[in-house]
Amino acid sequence: MRHYEVVVMVHPDQSEQVPAMVERYKAFIEADGGKIHRLEDWGRRQLAYPIAKLHKAHYVLMNIECTDKALAELENAFKFNDAVIRKMVIRKDKAVVGQSQLFKNPEDDKPKPEYKSRERAADAAPADAEAATEEAI
Amino acid sequence: MSRFVRTKRKSCKFSSDKGLEIDYKDLNLLKQYISENAKIQPARVTGTVAFYQRQITNSIKRARFLALLPYTDKHE
Repeated sequence: MRHYEVVVMVHPDQSEQVPAMVERYKAFIEADGGKIHRLEDWGRRQLAYPIAKLHKAHYVLMNIECTDKALAELENAFKFNDAVIRKMVIRKDKAVVGQSQLFKNPEDDKPKPEYKSRERAADAAPADAEAATEEAI
Repeated sequence: MSRFVRTKRKSCKFSSDKGLEIDYKDLNLLKQYISENAKIQPARVTGTVAFYQRQITNSIKRARFLALLPYTDKHE
């Protein structure tokens, strides 16, 4: 059993199907003795560049633990699902739980308040000081 | 000839803060390492240590694949 991180981009018109799709994938991962450690639905997001003439896509992030067989099945399911416009699978060393950065700190248009929203009081101190001087100028 | 004097020392954010993770989903962090035309900034510009620069490059490329970050500013 290995840990994987899967991101799936679904056609925005098929957005309503997402919960059903996730259920289906969940069923056969768990049937094989696997586990879903994290499941995030990022919803419909603006794409940084058009893919297949689309400007938006529905993103789903999954951190799973499963066998090779289940993963192959999962990838096969993505391949033959027309609603999936793109997918990415990364191998991870351990189970990842807790919200991802994208979910926790939705990106802001201005990169200015970089670390202000982040809860690392001690570490943020130097960065904050820097930002403060920039603002002063 | 006047010698170039660097006013501010470049520093690697990750070397000083070991807890900071580099992840392709952390767009606010990655955006600090791409230029205006969406190119990846070289380590020589940002002062990032090679070990972390490789991770940043990798993360940016992953984010680009997922259309979280642009490849260029010339996208339609």
